[in-house]
Amino acid sequence: MITVKNLTKIYKTPVRGKNFFQDVFFRKFKEKTAVNKISFEIGENELVGFIGPNGAGKTTTLKIMAGILFPTAGEVQVFGQNPFDKNPQFLKKIAFVMGQRNQLIWELAAIDSFQLNKEIYDVSEFDFKKTVDQLSTLLSCKNLLNRPVKTLSLGERMKMELINSLLHRPSLIFFDEPTIGLDIFSQEAIREFIKKFQQKYNSTVILTSHYLEDVKRLAKRLIIINRGHILYDDSLKKVIDQYSKIKYVSVILEREVDEKKIELIGKPITNQFPKIVWEVKKDVLPERISLINKIIPYSDITIEEERIEEIIKNLFNK
Amino acid sequence: MKRYLKIFFLYSKFALKTTFQTRVGTVFFLIGKIIRFLFFFLLVLLIFIKVKIIKGYTINQAIIFYLTFNIVDTITQIIFREVYRFKYSVVSGSLNLILTRPHHPFLKILIGGIDYLDIIMLVPYLALTGFYISRLPNYELGIINCLLYFLLIINGLLIATAFHIAVLAFGIITTETDNTIMIYRDLTNLTRFPLDIYQSPIREILTFIIPVGVMISFPAQALFNLLTWPKILYAFILSISLLLLSLRFWRYGLKQYQSWGG
Repeated sequence: MITVKNLTKIYKTPVRGKNFFQDVFFRKFKEKTAVNKISFEIGENELVGFIGPNGAGKTTTLKIMAGILFPTAGEVQVFGQNPFDKNPQFLKKIAFVMGQRNQLIWELAAIDSFQLNKEIYDVSEFDFKKTVDQLSTLLSCKNLLNRPVKTLSLGERMKMELINSLLHRPSLIFFDEPTIGLDIFSQEAIREFIKKFQQKYNSTVILTSHYLEDVKRLAKRLIIINRGHILYDDSLKKVIDQYSKIKYVSVILEREVDEKKIELIGKPITNQFPKIVWEVKKDVLPERISLINKIIPYSDITIEEERIEEIIKNLFNK
Repeated sequence: MKRYLKIFFLYSKFALKTTFQTRVGTVFFLIGKIIRFLFFFLLVLLIFIKVKIIKGYTINQAIIFYLTFNIVDTITQIIFREVYRFKYSVVSGSLNLILTRPHHPFLKILIGGIDYLDIIMLVPYLALTGFYISRLPNYELGIINCLLYFLLIINGLLIATAFHIAVLAFGIITTETDNTIMIYRDLTNLTRFPLDIYQSPIREILTFIIPVGVMISFPAQALFNLLTWPKILYAFILSISLLLLSLRFWRYGLKQYQSWGG
């Protein structure tokens, strides 16, 4: 469905001159490589999390796939077409949803914008009513449809934006930070909505987000990008198996223990009676557990994976 | 085509609805336009009380020049109002969402914000033009003259379209549209009266280099039987060439688009 081969995008940005004269008459430019020869494929009905730090190239890649930006080099095929050709039949199959951006008509009720999109995307009256009804029920926002957009809160506007963008039931949806700036309840509602929409309509979803919770809860596949290069492209579970080097061992002590015994296991990262937490390398975990069993009197023991946030942070820092 | 027309009418309908959300503002805006028209017309009449002939043109003819300018300028402003809001689209990033819609982006960014208040103002201009044309001596008026007048106004609108598309292309590359559109407005303002009032080379510049004279003066000159056939042909070839060039420039602009505001 989506094939990206050796995609490169270079931006030319002006460099501030030493003085006004140089700035105006002898302007220099520098090139910034936002995306550098990346390649991947995405199949139908996949939900892919596309993450990376600011300036990594996530949004640039999404915009090229949606036909908004023209690539500097490489090849992109979506539904067998070059997205930049902007074939109307291609554009009818996609949706691009950006967090904190909306295309709703500010002064008018959201339903007016829906009517416009209905015509733009050639949605029949029957499908329009059914889809708006379904989506507004999923998002619990039926009471907001007839209110002017300018009177809605950010979270409410985002819900209306989602309905507006998806009422034509696109086969491919690009979500560019859809939960940014929203409170935790709205974030949760948007996540649930994306999950249910994708399941119901079998759309392919590509989601970028700085909130790893979005990715953890929604995506099965993860593409990690940094400085224009893909660092990882596989399942979310495998990133933990492949990159996690440590586990966290927590014990709840039955009684106070001599510090020397605690140090024998390793230097704890938390030592507040009755709880002690050690960071233990995976390759020595069985020995340490065995040692804890021998010398530490505990009532409870927990072994936890390294948090995915830490794994990804380490990947970014590579 | 039918679908595009439907979308265009919807954009227009919602533009009208948006205009009337602020009714008080709309009323004041309309009053302002009427006052502006009345003052300018008064100024023109006062000039022509003193001056009977402008560069060989009678007062009647000079008024037709002025009204033709207003018709072309007003229709342009009615149709291309959305171009004045384009900078905001680029800077805010909302252009990205327009580019993903399954219709040509011009349907929104070029003609998607019809100014209905200016349509109201068009009525007196058209009525007055009809009145002053009817006052022309019979030997000046003919079917061919009138047809050419009409066709050259359409031609002028095509040139205006090309200018506005070029403004959009500039806007997409540089985010600058305000100054570019003001340059266009200032240049077209020079053609309120017959081009003959200007000395060479200004007359030639406004005809052949920055052809605003072709847009506005040529229709009236054709009406008065003063335009030669080579010039008429030149006008039509020019408009098609400029349109094709502007479309090429737009496509170039799209490739250069860096999507700031994302």
